[in-house]
Amino acid sequence: MSLAARQLEENGIATLIMGCAKDIVEYCGVPRFLFSDFPLGNAAGRPKDLQSQAFSLELALKTLEAAPAARTTVQSPLRWSADPSWKLDYSNIARLPPDEIQRLRAEFDRQKEIARNIRETPARAK
Amino acid sequence: MSARDDDLGFAPEEDAPIPYIQRIHDYYLALGYPTPYRWAHYAEVPFQPLKKPAAGCRIALITTAAPYQPDKGDQGPGAPYNAAAKFYAVYSGDSSVEHDLRISHLAIDRAHTTAEDRNAWFPLPQLRRCAAAGLIGEVAPRFHGMPTNRSHRTTLEKDCPELLARCRADGVDAAILVAN
Repeated sequence: MSLAARQLEENGIATLIMGCAKDIVEYCGVPRFLFSDFPLGNAAGRPKDLQSQAFSLELALKTLEAAPAARTTVQSPLRWSADPSWKLDYSNIARLPPDEIQRLRAEFDRQKEIARNIRETPARAK
Repeated sequence: MSARDDDLGFAPEEDAPIPYIQRIHDYYLALGYPTPYRWAHYAEVPFQPLKKPAAGCRIALITTAAPYQPDKGDQGPGAPYNAAAKFYAVYSGDSSVEHDLRISHLAIDRAHTTAEDRNAWFPLPQLRRCAAAGLIGEVAPRFHGMPTNRSHRTTLEKDCPELLARCRADGVDAAILVAN
């Protein structure tokens, strides 16, 4: 998504990314970024929380309009949970037992093969 | 933090944005893949100021979510990672109607969220509400789906130009891209 934002921007279309992975988006370098410190998959607000979703999109639009320069990141003030311990879980190898690591490797190889098969099948026009 | 600093109101150390690049690097190394993924990275960043207030702009929504495909396995709330639901070509949809989009093909945080509410990653109804409220000029006639291809070259040379062409065809002033 960061690459797409950059290419649109280079061609005269202003962009804003809504995302939850601050380091990945900023490392790429994008024009405008609304960062929500939420678990991946909730870049547009908390699930089943209309107020949070409305607030997030309105903040995104304000950032789109008011960013003074490239690499503008605004961090949403919304919190996922008062307890920040959820942040310790994602892909945290220190929290995985050895047999689980073996299982994850096999699963990763299996999913990669599935993706390769789809990629190499002629795409249907949509 | 020493005990005497406890009254300063500092947040716990782990209460900071997750260092995904480091986590993912360590994760795949431990799984047995020694060649680290090379993340896209640029020193220069383009900037196109909005040419008019948002209230006068036609704005497109861009998503990495995929249309639900009943024959492609579990894509429902709480589904495990499902590569079968991936797509590898830009697609577009009519912004004026509802769409059943899913994110089971993406590396979302499955320990702490379940993808039960698509409005948390595909804010098309919210964008329509903002148009009705006059916060933006209008929603672009189509939204667009961006593939998540592991190949940066394919993204840059095939998918991004296709997305740009579609945005141009729709005369959009700006785009909101929602990552997963």
